Order: sequence, then C-alpha cells, then structure tokens
Amino acid sequence: MKQPAIFPKVAKEMFSVQMSWTVWFLGIVFAVNIIKIISAINQNTEVDNLYNAVFVAGTIYMLIIGIISISFLRHYVENGVTRKDYFKGTLLAALGLSIIIPLIAYMVSQLQLLLLKNIETVSVKTAEFNSVVLDVDDHIIGEIVTSIVFAPYIDPQNHAWLALAVFSINLFTYYVLGWFISVGFYRFHAGAGLAFIFIALIIVSLEDVFLRVSLDLPVLSRYEMLESLPAGILLLFALLLIVLALSIIRLLTKRVAIKI
Amino acid sequence: MNVKLENVSLHYGRRAALKDVTFELKRNKIYGLLGRNGAGKTSLLSIIASLREPTSGTITINGKQPFENAKLMQQIAFLYNKDYKDESDNVKRILHYTAQYRPNFDMDYANYLIEQFKLVQNQPVKKFSKGMQSALNATLGLAARAPITIFDEVYLGMDAPSREIFYKELLEDQEKHPRIIILSTHLVSEMDYLFDEVLLLKNGKLLLHEETDALLSKGVTITGNAKNVDNFVQARKPIINEQRLGDTKSVSLYGELLEHERKAAFEKGLEISSIPLQDLFVHLTKEENENETTRHFS
Repeated sequence: MKQPAIFPKVAKEMFSVQMSWTVWFLGIVFAVNIIKIISAINQNTEVDNLYNAVFVAGTIYMLIIGIISISFLRHYVENGVTRKDYFKGTLLAALGLSIIIPLIAYMVSQLQLLLLKNIETVSVKTAEFNSVVLDVDDHIIGEIVTSIVFAPYIDPQNHAWLALAVFSINLFTYYVLGWFISVGFYRFHAGAGLAFIFIALIIVSLEDVFLRVSLDLPVLSRYEMLESLPAGILLLFALLLIVLALSIIRLLTKRVAIKI
Repeated sequence: MNVKLENVSLHYGRRAALKDVTFELKRNKIYGLLGRNGAGKTSLLSIIASLREPTSGTITINGKQPFENAKLMQQIAFLYNKDYKDESDNVKRILHYTAQYRPNFDMDYANYLIEQFKLVQNQPVKKFSKGMQSALNATLGLAARAPITIFDEVYLGMDAPSREIFYKELLEDQEKHPRIIILSTHLVSEMDYLFDEVLLLKNGKLLLHEETDALLSKGVTITGNAKNVDNFVQARKPIINEQRLGDTKSVSLYGELLEHERKAAFEKGLEISSIPLQDLFVHLTKEENENETTRHFS
C-alpha cells in the first residue's frame, strides 16, 4: 500500500506556525506606520507607504525566521519525519510566505493610500531605494551592506505584478540564506558557521546585482558590463544562485545527525 | 516488527560510543536496555530511531534500512529526557502536532493519560516541572502506539506515584496493543519486573542479551551458617555480594548452580534464592578496579 506523502503536512504546519509569527510582524509594522501617520497629520509631513515599510523590514524578518527554521528539523525527525520531507515542507512553506507577505502588504497599502487621499495635510513618500546604491562609495563592504538593506525594488503603482514578484523573490532569497547560515552552524562548528555567513553575503550581493541589471535598475558602474546580457540570462543566474544555496542546504541535512 | 543490528559501531571523533554491537529483537515484547551512565544506551537508541547513522555496521527493520525511510521512521517513536525550556506550546497543541505524524496515535488514550498524570492542558510546557515534562513524554510515547516505542530514561524526573502509573499503563497497553517497547535505564531495581528480555551494554559493547528469567537464574544467593556458606562457595563462581549478621551469612554468586550442587547445599541446611536483577547489573557492569560490596552487620 502506498502511503500518503508526509511533506504536505510539514509544509502546512510550517506555514501556519510561521504565518502566526508573520501576523505579529505585520501587525507591528502596521502599528508603527499608523502612529507615524497620526504624527504626520499633526505636523504636515510625509509618511511612508505601508508597502515600502514592509519591503524594508520584510527581508530581515525572513532572514531571521529562515535562521530559526533549522530548529524544526529535530522536531520532525523525532516525530518520524524524514529529513527529505522536512526539506520539502520547509521549502514550500517559505515559498508560501514569500508570496503572501507582499500580497498582504500591497492590499493594506492600497487601503492606506485610499484613506490618505482624503487627508490633504499628509503626503506619501516616494521610495528611492534603488538610487541609494549609487550613493555608496566604491567600497565592497558598503556595497554589501546596501544590497542587504535595500533589495531590488519596483514601484507597485506602476507595475503591480512585477513589483510583487520581485518582492517575493527578495523575501524568498533572504529566508533561504537564513536557513543556509543556520545549517552551517548546525552541521559544523561556529567557525564554519561564520564562513557560511560570508558565503551568504556573497550570494546576496550577486543576487542583488543580477536582479538589478535584469530589471534595468541602477547599478554601480563596475557591473554595467552585465547590461549587455539578456535579462532572461541574468534572471537565470539569479535563480541558479538560490538553487545553489538550496542544494547545499539539502546536501548538508540529507544525512545529518540529530543531536540530543 | 523485527529489529536487527549487525556489527554496529559509532564513533564521535576518536571516541567509540558503540563497538561492534549485534542483536536482534524479534517479538513484540518489553526489552530492558541496561547500562551505566555513558555505556552507549542513548547512542544505540538514536541509531534505531534514525536520529543518526552508525559509523559502521548495519541496522535493518523488517529487513530494510530505516534511515530516511519514511514508512519505517513513522513506526518508531523515540522519547527521551527532552528539555522543553523553549517550548511555548501547551499540551493540547503538542498532542495535536504529534498525532499528525503518528498513524496509530490514540487521542482519547492521550487525554486519559494527561488526566492520570494531572498535567495542565493549557499551560505552556516550558512552565512545567521536570516531572511533568517527563510525564508528557511518557504520554506521547504510549499514545503514539508506534510498533517500535523507545523510552530512554524518560521516567527519571517523575515522582514515585507517576512512575507507578507509567509502569502500570505500559504493561496494560502493551498487552492490548502488542509492540516492541525498549526501556533504557540504570534504575534497575524498580523496573525489573517490566522486562521480558534484557540487553546489557558496557563501555559501548553488548555484554549480554537474554530473557529476563534466564538471566535471573544465573544469580543465586546462598544463606545459612557462615561456616557452611564459606565452605560451599569456596573456589566457586564469582561472588557478587556478601552479607553477614552474627553467625548467619548470605553470599550472592554469579553463575547457575547444577542440580548436584543444589542438593549439596540443601543437605548442609543452606537456603538458595534468586538474586535481584539490580545486583546482577551492578556485578556485570562493574569496572575491573571496582570492588564488590561486602556488608557486615553485627
């Protein structure tokens, strides 16, 4: 008798647990935003678009929950779930989160814009995340930090679907990198874990460049030569980077010992 | 279910935790895995539960390797002294999550056990005392009704009444739903009646695997007049334990007595009785430089 697959159960459970954290995360971002709006109304200043607020905080949030996701491995193996089902389930849950967070942020921000339209004293800031990269000195550390804080951004008012897709890719990338780093620490000693952080930084920087060039966003002059490549190839490179990180995660957890 | 280990060794770096362990568990019985602290009990059980792979040797369950085998891993429940200090879920949620992955999980039985152990249903488990956390592990293991259920010292934190409940439920539920149950412990004295078979680990090696009755028949205590006892045990089998009270002496030996030896003892007015598993355990697992206990009462 063929037994039903277990990974959908893992995916569902991982998604619902992480979604409950996400509700808190979004709730806090929204609450902060509401406080800012109230103070902006009184002081006649600009407020952040809610979508952009989630855009900035979301990547770091996903990095953190990606790091935590390794702690579920022990829970699952102890409950008789294979490492493979854990991997598949976690991956699907991360994809689900990466899709749903931008959608929620977009819908709530549309509501925000609608409400603020009627309040004349407040105007909504336009995001200038993409041009920030050009302000960075020609220094690799500054460049890496900028690529972590400011992921490639498309304005949802102009191209809603493309904007949401890019947002999802950003979130998914950060989750995978958090997971990647935690696997390094789990499988090896702390020194190797630090090496995994370093590799993750390289991956996030390259991913950032590939996406920016393919989306025609501003990049530092040293990457301008990539602009001659077709967008499809660059997107493929970006995808391959994520696949590479996921392959390493799977390889290192495939037969990993669960320490008790 | 059939659990078979062949020449299983496990190394942590240079340290060998298990050395060439071979045995087979063929029937639905309760197996006692005994060994002192650091003997390799948890390492061995981790391999059976697919938490880790052996460095060398093979393990098969029903002829197949269990590691990463979804069908087999579901059939093995491994409960140990888990630290729940970060667990913010309550009992209800933990039961719910466990039930999802255990095809035979009996929620009614789990709730019954929760009542028996008087566990608070809606309090985060991290706020539980050590004993309550142990009772939760016992509940999860029993209610999962996995064909291979392993309890690795889960009863350590429980108070005496809770341990009694656990032992009683274990025997009753095993009878109703026969399965392979492995209990690892170094607290032999109060659990010996539970074991159908005993496996003894010493320094990572399997010292013996026998039916409990057969093992118990290997230890005898001879009691009677001190002089007669001394004459009888002279140059015979290893002495496990000696006690003396006035003229009466009692000596425990390791090794079966032959029929004519029993007869000779009887003729000298000596009394022969079996010795507790605990004493056998202490004797068999003692290190070379440790002395047997000799107690004098006067």
